[in-house]
Amino acid sequence: MQKKLRRLFLWMACFFALSVQAQQALPDVNYNDPRLPLRLPTPAGDSISLTAFKGKVVLLDFWASWCIPCRHANKDLKKLYAAYNKQGFEIFGVSLDEEISDWKRAIKKDKITWPQVIDNRGWEAVTAVQWNVQELPTSYLFNKQGQLVAMNLEREELEQKIKELLAKP
Amino acid sequence: MKKLILIACSFLFVLATQAQIKKAELTATGLTCAMCSNAINVALKDLSYVDKVVVDIKKSEYRITFKEGADVSIDGLKNAVEDAGFSVGKLNITASFDNVAVSNDAHISYKGNTLHFLEIKNQTLNGEKSFTVVDKGFLTDKQFKKYAAATKMSCVQTGKAAGCCVNDNVKEGSRIYHVTI
Repeated sequence: MQKKLRRLFLWMACFFALSVQAQQALPDVNYNDPRLPLRLPTPAGDSISLTAFKGKVVLLDFWASWCIPCRHANKDLKKLYAAYNKQGFEIFGVSLDEEISDWKRAIKKDKITWPQVIDNRGWEAVTAVQWNVQELPTSYLFNKQGQLVAMNLEREELEQKIKELLAKP
Repeated sequence: MKKLILIACSFLFVLATQAQIKKAELTATGLTCAMCSNAINVALKDLSYVDKVVVDIKKSEYRITFKEGADVSIDGLKNAVEDAGFSVGKLNITASFDNVAVSNDAHISYKGNTLHFLEIKNQTLNGEKSFTVVDKGFLTDKQFKKYAAATKMSCVQTGKAAGCCVNDNVKEGSRIYHVTI
């Protein structure tokens, strides 16, 4: 089951490598797909699933406390969250930290306000493997229907896309 | 001239030794955050002589364990890191030695390669010992210059045996790893 999933994402990676920059025709990935459960523990110790955000524009954001570029990106994400969360934008942060205390400390330090979960096995974490995360940060942007719309957008491009998706039904 | 070369080379001595390379700690550098990419991890794991790689985030290093009895290529480790788009910042190799006497600015041979020790005190290596590779491309340019100045032999610049090293079974053109303890 997992091998099929991994192949799906390897296909995605190949697709991105080959696709023209201007038009990114994405493969058909929907986070409502039962093969992508993504239910993980929160800092409080309970768990949430990505599918809980159905109907919202969701940014699935893979990061880790030791990833400096990720910590910088958190500043931008904070601004986006503050600006668009009320309009239906959600960020689902998945950390690959192996030390849970490092993760919790980073959440506090960066004053992260959006939902956070952890799969604390670094690059070998099942989630990282399933979603073919080969570098950090890696992010996937989903529309309100749960379909994958874009990957690894940053700053203005990301904001533009979020606004665009929020405006659609 | 020949006499001078002979005198210089007489300070070199090569001892055949079965040094088994057991593990290594590698730090990578690059223009972007090296540890933020899984590429180095994957590239090292892909090497046929690598048994296990553990990523140590706190020390920013890859702890590599080699397969028992495998032919470990030190250059292979560097190439893997470079193919992944990064460079080696530091490489420590742990190998087992069997009472090997090493002198400063001198060569010993192991497993078909040659080690040229620099900036060391004369000593006998016994059991598991770690040495740092100081060849070009295995540390910063600044650090390399320091080790390059520690010898007059040209092999330190090229990583290969030159005229003066061709003695005691060190073939001209063969790979010499410059190392320190």
